[in-house]
Amino acid sequence: MATDEKAKNMNVQTEIKTADNGVNVDALLGARAALTDAPAAAQFTWRAECDWKGGVHSRSTVKGFFGLGEEQAHNGEFTIDADHPPQFAASDKGATPVEILLSALASCLTAGVASVAQNRGIQLHSVRAKVEGDMDIAGILGIDADVRNGFSAIRVSFEIDADAPQDEIAAVVAQSQKRSAMFDIITNPTNVHVSVN
Amino acid sequence: MKRTTTAIIGAGQSGLAMSHELTLAGVDHVILERGQIANSWRKERWDSLRLLTPNWMNGLHGHDYKGTDHDGYMHVAELINAFDASAAKSGAPVRAETTVLSVDGTPGAYRVQTDQGALSCNSVVMANGACATPKIPAFASQLPDQVQSFTPQTYKRPAQLPDGKVLVVGASASGMQLAREIQQSGRQVVLAVGTHSRFPRNYRDADITMWLEIIGATTIPYTEVDDIERVRRTPSLTLVADETIDLNSLQDLGVEITGRLVAINDGRALFSGSLANHCAAADLKMNRLLESIDDWVDAADLTNLVAPVQRYVPTRVPTAPRLSMDLAAEGFGAVLWATGYRPDFNWLELPVFDRKGNLKHDGGVVAEGLYAMGLPYLRQRKSTFIDGACDDARALAAHLTAGLARSIAA
Repeated sequence: MATDEKAKNMNVQTEIKTADNGVNVDALLGARAALTDAPAAAQFTWRAECDWKGGVHSRSTVKGFFGLGEEQAHNGEFTIDADHPPQFAASDKGATPVEILLSALASCLTAGVASVAQNRGIQLHSVRAKVEGDMDIAGILGIDADVRNGFSAIRVSFEIDADAPQDEIAAVVAQSQKRSAMFDIITNPTNVHVSVN
Repeated sequence: MKRTTTAIIGAGQSGLAMSHELTLAGVDHVILERGQIANSWRKERWDSLRLLTPNWMNGLHGHDYKGTDHDGYMHVAELINAFDASAAKSGAPVRAETTVLSVDGTPGAYRVQTDQGALSCNSVVMANGACATPKIPAFASQLPDQVQSFTPQTYKRPAQLPDGKVLVVGASASGMQLAREIQQSGRQVVLAVGTHSRFPRNYRDADITMWLEIIGATTIPYTEVDDIERVRRTPSLTLVADETIDLNSLQDLGVEITGRLVAINDGRALFSGSLANHCAAADLKMNRLLESIDDWVDAADLTNLVAPVQRYVPTRVPTAPRLSMDLAAEGFGAVLWATGYRPDFNWLELPVFDRKGNLKHDGGVVAEGLYAMGLPYLRQRKSTFIDGACDDARALAAHLTAGLARSIAA
């Protein structure tokens, strides 16, 4: 094979892709192309409402959001209960908020893995993310002012069965982090404004 | 108003290469240069800088490398000498100390206003460089007063820095080289690392840039690249003359690495917790390139004639890279922003920019008779290499002269 033809083949993806991970990549790429020329439509606002249920139990409700220039609605109303376990003298009617955050990170990265794999023509058979967050609760209990309230470290470990070599799977996982909202939210600071009405 | 067929803006490798092509084609032109030939090479580089490409790749258009150290990496001073020799030999029509103030008009009738008078011309070639203005994040203004800011354009040598630690922002070729030089001068350096690349200087008996040439990676046309806009944003190759530079070698010297600098709040620098992923991505991309080289070697039946396949230790990521630093309290004297550059087209008064203010162009063709050169992946990866200017000049000069023929016919 001639040198430049070989180089060309290595850089241009010509193989036929038949993977089906259930992600409509064409629609996503179409949206990307459309929103490139309509930056206002790309401005989204996500919302949740949270009601106190007693003790440290609360229930959040998610139904609508703003995006593509107008109000949007989910197919239904989703609720998420948050509470704390008996070790915190609580009623344990739901996961703790920090566990919900860990699951949000895992869900976001997993969605990214499925989408990136689909885009790269990699068939997935199973994906499991195990997430752990380390926390010294001396922070939230106010025992030690030098300890932060939040996680000191978060670890995500993926087990992925897919039709691709290990390096390609690792590249999919790397790309899913690069494009993940939750990964960005957790790794970078965000200004948070809290008001009382 | 004076007239010429083509005004070239900038007498660097791109402008001189275009001049060479236009001379061959018999097109009347001038080169407008705000300072002297190779101005930014003379004035906007640090003292120790040597080229990142081996000498055989550093030939100027019509002026191949003539020295004996083909595989060496010349100092910028040697490149400047080559520029002077090349321009003297070719008699390129350089108008030195002539700053362009504005360009407007219509195809076939552009007006170039300079501080030495106006010029009307049929076509304009903007060869004024991709590295005109350092890109510095807006939060740089939040730096504490006692911490001084430098860029790779204003930094010349370690002795120029104030006492204290130095925060180098950005693990580009510039950032890594300067982190190394400053750490070796005896100052403690912290390097903030975002998206970056990693390459061995040599692989299987050849310089890595030679491999990129051999496997054709430097010459894939912009029309055949997936997502050219992303490729154009990709930082340049992280290389230094003579040896491999990477985050491992910098850490061996004592440089502390941490994540991307994302904010400065109340004198505290805040860093992203994404360092591990940036390092993993750089390692994966390096390995993918090395695999393409290995594939080429195998396909060419050279497996036993070159050094064996090699893989490198993954980038060592500290277990807990620091997420924030109180710059003044921790004794930082300076921040060096190696956060990239943008070209300067502020004087271009034509509707040729996208909504983010970037110049729109198709392989360097901005509009009929209006061309850009030397921008990242303008036509191929080589477009920002010294000798890449030659290919681009040939292609764009052909477009330009064809345009002249069309306008005469019309």
